[in-house]
Amino acid sequence: MNAPVQTAEARELALAGMGASRLRKEDARFIQGKGNYVDDIKMPGMLHMDIVRSPIAHGRIVKINKEAALAIPGVHAVLTADDLKPLKLHWMPTLAGDVAAVLADEKVHFQMQEVAIVIADDRYIAADAVEAVEVEYEELPVVMDPYAALLPGAPVIRDDLAGKTEGAHGKRDHHNHIFTWDAGDKAAADAAFDKAEVTVSQHMYYPRVHPCPLETCGCVASFDPIKGDLTTFITSQAPHIVRTVVSMLSGIPESKVRIVSPDIGGGFGNKVPIYPGYVCAIVSSIVLGRPVKWVEDRIENISSTGFARDYHMDGELAATADGKITGLRVNVVADHGAFDACADPTKFPAGMFHIVSGSYDIPAAHASVKGVYTNKAPGGVAYRCSFRVTEAVYLIERMVDVLAQKLGMDKAEIRAKNFVKKEQFPYTSAFGFEYDSGDYQTALDKVLEAVDYKGLRAEQAVKRADPTSPTLMGIGLVTFTEVVGAGPSKMCDILGVGMFDSCEIRIHPTGSAIARMGTISQGQGHQTTYAQIIATELGIPSEVIQVEEGDTSTAPYGLGTYGSRSTPVAGAAIALAARKIHAKARKIAAHMLEVNENDLDWEVDRFKVKGDESKFKTMADVAWQAYHQPPDGLEPGLEAVHYYDPPNFTFPFGIYLCVVDIDRATGETKVRRFYALDDCGTRINPMIIEGQIHGGLTEGFAVAMGQQMPFDAQGNLLGNTLMDYFLPTFVETPHWETDHTVTPSPHHPLGAKGVAESPHVGSIPTFTSAVVDAFSHLGVTHLDMPHNAFRTWKALRKHGAAL
Amino acid sequence: MEVKLDKKYPLDVDATRAWALLTDLKATANCMPGAEITEQLSETSFKGGVKVKVGPAVAQFGGTVDVIESVPAERKMVLRGKGADKGGSSASMDLTAIITADPANPAHCVLNGQAAVIVNGKFAQFGGRLMVQVSDMLLAQFVENFRQTALTLPSAEGSPAATVSAHTAESSSAPAAAPIAPVVAREINGLAIFWSLVKSWFGGLFGKKA
Repeated sequence: MNAPVQTAEARELALAGMGASRLRKEDARFIQGKGNYVDDIKMPGMLHMDIVRSPIAHGRIVKINKEAALAIPGVHAVLTADDLKPLKLHWMPTLAGDVAAVLADEKVHFQMQEVAIVIADDRYIAADAVEAVEVEYEELPVVMDPYAALLPGAPVIRDDLAGKTEGAHGKRDHHNHIFTWDAGDKAAADAAFDKAEVTVSQHMYYPRVHPCPLETCGCVASFDPIKGDLTTFITSQAPHIVRTVVSMLSGIPESKVRIVSPDIGGGFGNKVPIYPGYVCAIVSSIVLGRPVKWVEDRIENISSTGFARDYHMDGELAATADGKITGLRVNVVADHGAFDACADPTKFPAGMFHIVSGSYDIPAAHASVKGVYTNKAPGGVAYRCSFRVTEAVYLIERMVDVLAQKLGMDKAEIRAKNFVKKEQFPYTSAFGFEYDSGDYQTALDKVLEAVDYKGLRAEQAVKRADPTSPTLMGIGLVTFTEVVGAGPSKMCDILGVGMFDSCEIRIHPTGSAIARMGTISQGQGHQTTYAQIIATELGIPSEVIQVEEGDTSTAPYGLGTYGSRSTPVAGAAIALAARKIHAKARKIAAHMLEVNENDLDWEVDRFKVKGDESKFKTMADVAWQAYHQPPDGLEPGLEAVHYYDPPNFTFPFGIYLCVVDIDRATGETKVRRFYALDDCGTRINPMIIEGQIHGGLTEGFAVAMGQQMPFDAQGNLLGNTLMDYFLPTFVETPHWETDHTVTPSPHHPLGAKGVAESPHVGSIPTFTSAVVDAFSHLGVTHLDMPHNAFRTWKALRKHGAAL
Repeated sequence: MEVKLDKKYPLDVDATRAWALLTDLKATANCMPGAEITEQLSETSFKGGVKVKVGPAVAQFGGTVDVIESVPAERKMVLRGKGADKGGSSASMDLTAIITADPANPAHCVLNGQAAVIVNGKFAQFGGRLMVQVSDMLLAQFVENFRQTALTLPSAEGSPAATVSAHTAESSSAPAAAPIAPVVAREINGLAIFWSLVKSWFGGLFGKKA
């Protein structure tokens, strides 16, 4: 069964393993429209659910009249909180230790809140019936501003928490206060500021935005009243956690609950939380004994499901006169909406915000985040970032720019001066993170050279000196460090379940393989990249390795895909499961070749007897033997499972530079150049990495240049359609230039760090840095996002730069 | 969302007749396109509705109108209207209307309106960007109806006024003859609103700057 003799290099190439730009296995079905999404699922006897939502942001429900809706032929049920009360399902726990109304119980807390559901024969009847449900409200004063929410006489948003002075994250000192979370050493930071030669401070608002995946959220719940088991197809980035929660809420044993995430059309954090719609569809299926489908529309998605950001931040830096940063203080007022439903590891109500010291060696730092209730939809998800890392990176990168401006230093120079140096790794930050590896200076030098930074600055000086220049030129620079791969279970859990991940690999007798995972791809290309890891580890061509995920009845338990955790956590689980198989395969090969295990060398796809090139067994030979006639004392079969609990996070980093030209007449910002260098450690599939970076940069561009959720004082969301909410297309998206360095993670079995979110995290402050840079000679230190033409034009007018 | 309006409409109607019409809330309501008073709840409180049709979408607001203040000496009326439709929108309006005589021409007057309109729900979400323009349109239609109805009332001199030319900038398509019965659009006409918006938009683009 030995393969024809080929060089090791040729055989390695044929595996299409790690490092190969293998084409995405998923694309064959996606580009032919053959994907299988939740809304593609049709089941016999399936009913449809639609949701009655609150038109107002705050009010008491006086009366709900279902009669007219129930009278419509084809309507099966109309359910309200009162109907869920006997099941104790009118409220549900959130991931952040709060509770959220499944259906509004006596009052509504935000516009578009779920008030009642309608179950009907088809989607159209359900929509008509929603219109026929009459709800009478008594309007209450609305609180949209988190600072106003904390004033003494502010309206009470959460009546259900009356008298509760202790929240999930400590003391509550006001009826609209959720938590105050501190990190770092306040005394040390204060001392640094007392002694500082220079200090700067800046207020900035990171607007509320929405991940807005192309596929909205939805599910098909199917309860079998005979067998008593529940199957739910769902748009979830974490199907196992959904199974656990569904079992806990419904009382159905976890073994009888099957959650399936089929193809997912983008998640970006929006599909981590458990939404009332899911709960209602499941309850309806249990009550009616028939499958129930619920798929929200775009307006519902933007208005009511997990938003991101909404951080009002005050940053301060202390430094020496020559630009060495000595202290950092950050104060954040975080608008969490009406329920605290942030998707963060349990112990971290502000996620990993304490990565806010960034890539810089800052001896003393303190951050304080205050969570506040307002009359907005709940959320606070990690929109293409590790938990709150985007906010943290934005703050520190903006502050370093502000300091450079005050000192008259160059942005690149001040960064180089404050970098954590290559030889300082592993480096423990003032907030206690242990950065695994990095080489910031090499990466920075590479970028500055690639773009001719000096030349750009010279060009800018010429333009600034010319009063007739039609544009303002700005150069943005960001040197960010991310923390991803949550996370070590001693620190990170979701509802008590540690944030490990898992992989089960089974080699078939003829040498092909299947791997089942605890993660779930939403476009990341897991089926392609995971197979490449196994191919390299076990010498099996990636083409014959099947990767399955998302079905809790077959996949091992895992915490899902978000926070760039798939490669750092699940990728490691794959490598270690494969190595278990490799160890057994070596025993089998030794037996087949009648030598000692130690006399074997591994080469690409085969065990070779040392010193005799002609005697070898490939992994395929070994697989056959494992099922055919395993050595005495070894059990048949060739498979392994590994649950990987990471010892630490990983810390990918990047150096991004952006050049913009702002039209002084229209305020339009043209991105002339965007150069993104990423270091995500070991690279598994360079083509997929590049695709991920392009996608992340484009989403970063969207956030920086246009995305926002505008509310009026009455709590109406005035931009919840794609007419208003900015999703860039090819027309708007600039050209991206990508580059990389490779600094492997020392604690990860593959040295890989995760990459998909870096471009989002890193690019957003780069755009702001570039836009502000264009105004910096006018004394401007900061401009809040979004940098759309109108807002930029107003800034041009305000600072006398408009033509 | 909240829209504040402050408008002055010169009318070719004398102040006495205009005030007489304004104090007849039912008749005044009838001048509002799509609006009608269906029930009088008390001396100062009325129940009614407004129907707005934009293309295939019909919103039917039901609600109340209360007279907060009526000062004949100043010809001043303060009203508060509140309503909601079943499809998830609600609106309220505080309106102060004052009729001032035109000192130059006793046969003319000016209708001053100050309104704060708050709209919630779908109307605010979808219609927010058109609120000001739509309000302007509605008011223009209202004023034209109001004017025509007022002209049919017996004047102080005992005969209907002869002049019928429109003085409002927005409406120039008034019929040439004074009607006996009030000419009132019973429904807000979405297409007309749309057309007028397009006109005013282009007008704004090319006309007013010059």
